[in-house]
Amino acid sequence: MTAFAETAVDTVPRPGWGERLDRHAGRLMVLPAVVILLCFAIFPLIISAYLALSRFALAPGGFTLKFIGLGNFRKLLTGSQQYHFLGTFGAFGPVAWGLVALAAIALLYCMARYLRGGSVTVVGIVGRLISVSLTMGLVLVAVATLATSGVPGTLVTTLLYVVIGVSVQFLLGLGLALLCAQPIRGRNFFRVLYFVPLMVTPVGIAYTFRMLADMQKGPFAPLVRSFGVGEWSWATEAWSARLMVLVGDTWQWTPFMFIVLLAAIENQPRDQVEAARIDGAGGLQIFRDITWPAIAPVAGTVVLIRLIEAFKIIDLPNVLTGGGPGLATESMTLHAFIAWRTQDLGASAAVGYMLLFVSTVVCITFFNFVVRPSRRLES
Amino acid sequence: MNGDRRSLRQRLFEPESLERQAPVPKFMTYVLLVFWSLVVLVPLYWVLITSFKQSGDVDNGPFYIPFVDFTPSLHAWDFMLLQNNTLGPYINSIVAALGSTVVGVVVGALAAYALVRTRLEVKLATVVTFLLLLAATVAAVVTLGVPWPIALGSAVVIFILAVFTLTHRARLALGNRDIEFWIISNRIMPPIVAVLPIYIMFQQLRLLDTQLALVATYAAVNLPIVVWLTRDFFAAIPVDLEESAEIDGASKFRVFFTIALPLVRSGLVATFLLVLILAWNEYLLALFLTNANAQTMPVLVSAQNTTRGPQWWNMSVLIVVMIAPVVVIATVLQKHIARGLLVGAVKG
Amino acid sequence: MRHLLAGASALCLLGGMGIAQAAGEFDGVTVNVMTQTGAIQEPLQRRAPEFEALTGAKINVIAVPFSDLYQKILTDWASGTNSVDAAVFAPQWMVDYIAGGYLEDLTARVEADPAIEQDDVGAFFRDFSEKYAGSIYMITLDGDFHMMYYRKDLLEEAGLEVPRTWDEYLEVAKALHGKDMNGDGTPDFGSCIAKKRNAQSYWFVMDVVGSMTQSKGTSQGAFFNTADMTPLVDNEGFRKALDFLSESTKYGPPDELNLDVSDTRPLFASGRCALNLDWGDVGTISIDPVNSKVIGKWGAAIMPGSTEVVNWETGELEACTADNCPYAIDGVNHAPFAAFGGWGGGINAAADDKVKDAAFAYFSYMTQPAQSNQDVTVGGTGFNPYRTSQLSFSDLWKNAGMTEEEAAVYLGAINDSMNSPNMILDLRIPQNQKYQQVVLDEAISRFLAGEIDKEATVQAVANGWNELNDEIGVDEQLEIYRATIGAN
Repeated sequence: MTAFAETAVDTVPRPGWGERLDRHAGRLMVLPAVVILLCFAIFPLIISAYLALSRFALAPGGFTLKFIGLGNFRKLLTGSQQYHFLGTFGAFGPVAWGLVALAAIALLYCMARYLRGGSVTVVGIVGRLISVSLTMGLVLVAVATLATSGVPGTLVTTLLYVVIGVSVQFLLGLGLALLCAQPIRGRNFFRVLYFVPLMVTPVGIAYTFRMLADMQKGPFAPLVRSFGVGEWSWATEAWSARLMVLVGDTWQWTPFMFIVLLAAIENQPRDQVEAARIDGAGGLQIFRDITWPAIAPVAGTVVLIRLIEAFKIIDLPNVLTGGGPGLATESMTLHAFIAWRTQDLGASAAVGYMLLFVSTVVCITFFNFVVRPSRRLES
Repeated sequence: MNGDRRSLRQRLFEPESLERQAPVPKFMTYVLLVFWSLVVLVPLYWVLITSFKQSGDVDNGPFYIPFVDFTPSLHAWDFMLLQNNTLGPYINSIVAALGSTVVGVVVGALAAYALVRTRLEVKLATVVTFLLLLAATVAAVVTLGVPWPIALGSAVVIFILAVFTLTHRARLALGNRDIEFWIISNRIMPPIVAVLPIYIMFQQLRLLDTQLALVATYAAVNLPIVVWLTRDFFAAIPVDLEESAEIDGASKFRVFFTIALPLVRSGLVATFLLVLILAWNEYLLALFLTNANAQTMPVLVSAQNTTRGPQWWNMSVLIVVMIAPVVVIATVLQKHIARGLLVGAVKG
Repeated sequence: MRHLLAGASALCLLGGMGIAQAAGEFDGVTVNVMTQTGAIQEPLQRRAPEFEALTGAKINVIAVPFSDLYQKILTDWASGTNSVDAAVFAPQWMVDYIAGGYLEDLTARVEADPAIEQDDVGAFFRDFSEKYAGSIYMITLDGDFHMMYYRKDLLEEAGLEVPRTWDEYLEVAKALHGKDMNGDGTPDFGSCIAKKRNAQSYWFVMDVVGSMTQSKGTSQGAFFNTADMTPLVDNEGFRKALDFLSESTKYGPPDELNLDVSDTRPLFASGRCALNLDWGDVGTISIDPVNSKVIGKWGAAIMPGSTEVVNWETGELEACTADNCPYAIDGVNHAPFAAFGGWGGGINAAADDKVKDAAFAYFSYMTQPAQSNQDVTVGGTGFNPYRTSQLSFSDLWKNAGMTEEEAAVYLGAINDSMNSPNMILDLRIPQNQKYQQVVLDEAISRFLAGEIDKEATVQAVANGWNELNDEIGVDEQLEIYRATIGAN
């Protein structure tokens, strides 16, 4: 490369190889990344699409793929696997209707505000329509399985992990970052210590929490027994089992939120904070008026990064409960993984595609309607 | 504000100066910080002491303190480090994590730099042609049984012909923002969707169960994150230096390596560490792509769950030896991480 | 000690060598053998260097977690990767591997190898586990049955009999539940059954169901009606089995729904369970002087049975008579489940001939009495007895630490099961994993978790199995099902 550059210096008038190379430098620099992604993302996606539309079977000398159209998707959404993917729907009561109505009103309001806002484009409307209808669909499924006598399927379970997990991790991370940003001794110690859980492999964390949460021989067993609940176990009830998965996930990912938010807080405009202090502003006020606007863009991005990863959860439920009790802790990736394990490759790919669809729409919606506005807030 | 003249309430709750905290909030801060320290430490402590336990100490437990309520034993360490082949997976993990991170960061940073500093354009027609050809190639191989090298070769030829004849006349084009968005959005893809085709790909290339397969896959999976973070490091540095170097005749590549890269050192270190951790801990892809030769540590950890019961002590040893090096690296690089992640996240 | 034994046996073998393996015969040949981690892996790995010293073949054991083994082998062979030359796995999976033509027919090799002592291998393994459609595809290395384990001392103390039926099982579990069984001051459990999802719980369901759906001998079948492939699910027997599962959960550990056999085995060995259902492994684990707290206090018996069996036509339960339960013992119909039917070695048909020969020689070496007789007495191997000569008390078992009394009970239970004419065979139809590991396992797990009630569970399993039958082809499945159990 250096050689090219030097020849280029000597032969300014005549376009040599170096110069030509330089003219295309931008493309050449992007090329490796694009090629890698084409091989490892686009190509697999196309193959998977084919798998999702077919039924795999073993045959002498290899296997066969029989094209069955949207059969695998139909099975998940309306057919015999609906209970597994979407869940078992219960009858709607007043509470359920109320929740659905609330969500509908909120979404319609957002839509209306956009339409009346003036800067309406075709892409904007289509994008919003997709976001709104998917959100409404997810709300309907969630309400039908959670707020009634129904049973949630892997879709709702995954959403629970994502929504609850990411919110809790964000709040904890923010709280800890605010504490650590105080002028105290040992800040660096806490900073390094709090970072450690991020470095443990998720499989290891899952096994560690199985040890810790053991009701017979775990470290907390005597404590739990002294409360007289020795005959109970978290693993047998849906919500406590999900909670345990969330505890493990939170233990691992709070550090990520913490470390980034702490850096953002330390970077907030110091003079403004000091001025506000001298004016006698309280801690809450300072946070609302100065700190939050300063860190909002960071917060938006860090939540987005975490959202993307949270949809892929598998190791924790797989090790902690194997997806049980019942379907209670089974995430969509685990669903696809179990299908793959029993050579149901079509169903596995179909679930994977559903996950891709839901997480893409959710992440892009979040980016457009939360992260972008938060950046405007800053400027 | 003289301390002597302040009331007891003031002295307890209001800080003496802006640089310090009043005693009561300070106390609360420490209580909360110490509480979370315990939340972090208890699981780690339990793993550490479990690695010194024998099966009886676990099955009849809980026992908390070595030498006090159980006698620590080195049997698991002895087994995992001396008798069992742990070194192999350990080396595999190091190679896969380090290799993929270096490749990922270099390729990703190059792409990010180009996206920030040059104007790129891809004709929409090119993209459509490419996708159609790819689909046709796959269909030809899967349904018609055309050997893949032939199908791929002819597709490449057609594609190049198409690019030079037809598509460059098209008007609609994708710019930097679109390319960037496409690269980053690849991260959303769940690995479970891609893993089987990747398996088939490496099988065709005879690279299954090799470190190279893991290096390539991890680099690809983490590439979007690298681009996402490093793009903003480059955007944040002043462009004057690079411009003056270019006026002096330095090529873009030279500018990139000698001027731009050193300026974003902190950010690169943070990105490097984050990606390293992700690759070091990855389980699902490793499970699919490796057997005996390239097995990595996370797979070895989960393999300690046997039909004779989970071998908690062995598992704990493995977890401890897996955490140790990363903690050391992270501690050393601690300052860079905070600064580096910040720049990336601010601009998102 | 074990190394000494192994060394000694290797020496003995060297003396008598030359029949099957010649020194240096396989110099430079490497065989990749895939199996599950832990048990099974241990003996294969431990004996690999001995075998290399004898023949020059390098055995490279690749171990993956049990839950991934089936698919790992399948993916390797079906995709044509063929990095796995041979595998040690459950014979139930054989049918899928044979469907793709990946397994080597070993009939001729077995017949030409006297050292394997095929006549000594239990008839059930010889005729069923190793064979498919009349040809031998696997070399059995491990005998597997479901049995019931109990705490002799506790039963005697409470004046209770060893349970013979599922009802009696529940009575005993209820009576003993909550007692301190190992002297550590905490209450222990009446019954321990692995009920975790995506683990082994579906096998134990079939133990109970099968004792009511199958009474007229092995070829009657316990899973489907042999006339038209209707699942034997929508009947009173299956419902009673569901009742048994939820009732026994009351006398189990609080987290029983999250325990697999790897959790219940240490529980039994540490003296925390009065009753337990499992494979033969619990016996050898219970005599392990280091880890077991129940040495001399335990017993084993054939799986409990039922005094009523299902009438296939009506779905109702009917009392056992000489007519409908020809094999009943004292009026109780036992249907011991040959779950997994004994792990064995199979060879990839696509491997090189030299590699195939070396793999076969290795499996032969492993199953020859000189090696096998030691391995089946050690808990860590995961190998259970499967040779006739291993099923009576001898110095083998004495050296392993089993008393004559214990051996009589343990081996007696195995003999009772193995010789039962009413043994339940594994479901060995194509894609059986989907029937059991997905449909059945999921429905049972949802039932135990309270997500669906008994009726919904019955419907879920019946509909799920019917759907699979339709997808794969009812007639093909029926034909294969009838062939595997030898129905007339």
